Amino acid sequence: MKNNITTFITVDRKTLLFSFTLLLMNLFVFSLFAQQKYIDKSGYIKFEASEKLFEPVEANNESVTAVLNADNGEFASLALITAFRFKNSLMEEHFNENYIESETYPKAVFRGKLLNFDHSSLSDTPKEFEVDGKLELHGKEKQVKTIVSLQKLDGAIVMKGDFIVAPSDFDIEIPSIVKNKIAKAVKVSINFNLKS
Amino acid sequence: MKKKKIRYLILTLLGLALIIGFVTYKKVINPEHRDIYTETTAFTLSAKELHSHFLENPEDATLKYVNKVVETYGTVTEIETNLVVLEDKVHANLLEDNKQRIIVDDILKIKGRCIGFDEILLSVKIDQTTTVKIN
Repeated sequence: MKNNITTFITVDRKTLLFSFTLLLMNLFVFSLFAQQKYIDKSGYIKFEASEKLFEPVEANNESVTAVLNADNGEFASLALITAFRFKNSLMEEHFNENYIESETYPKAVFRGKLLNFDHSSLSDTPKEFEVDGKLELHGKEKQVKTIVSLQKLDGAIVMKGDFIVAPSDFDIEIPSIVKNKIAKAVKVSINFNLKS
Repeated sequence: MKKKKIRYLILTLLGLALIIGFVTYKKVINPEHRDIYTETTAFTLSAKELHSHFLENPEDATLKYVNKVVETYGTVTEIETNLVVLEDKVHANLLEDNKQRIIVDDILKIKGRCIGFDEILLSVKIDQTTTVKIN
């Protein structure tokens, strides 16, 4: 009888321990899911490298992915190069085939962080944050630091900003024949509507 | 009489030069963009197949499908004004905002230009998409 009771107690202890572990695991998994991720699957990026007096050199991409982790301000974005649309289709072809070589390097990826990000400080009036991260493009990586503005509209986070890069930073060669038609500093503008 | 002939000749030549100039500008310097909707489809396959090609061999799939006209089909798992998602594996940007009133669980065939694989969403992306509802 006594023996039986001890067995019962041990079993009970085991079950208790097991339940406790389960509870802990649940908490852990839950906290992973509780991470607030805001995503835009069809974000907008535009770049401009126009020179005065020449045909505008600019392109839009309306299928950019952007993800913001609202817990810690981590941010990532991916743009597929082929999706950049130019007004002039020939310019688009040259951009893909000769300059950025989109068959070999099909995407541009930014990974970084919004510094001192605080989700609760967001409101419908735009607030500025510093972003620090790395842009990977054409097989090269470059640090990018800029300011973006964030505002909360209808539960979504709207992120806007721009930054400057140079083709030479990414080993993109521009033939001398068109050198003065393409700006040395390329302005990239972003507009994301991040939803949870 | 001779003077008149020369005048005609010059006028014709000028006209020809103008036409040639215009055609060169239209065809060579500033050709029209591709019209994916009217282009013939290069590949037809299910959303799952397309996705698994990109997962298994991204380089080959990029060379094979990117910038090509593809038709792909599957169940709609998500729909936004200008975006439709098939099987959680293909994200397609619509040419016109959800004209067909597509809803989740519809079985859909889409035609568009494959633009590549998105490693954040783990999904194939397609743009300039037109849709054909199957059920």
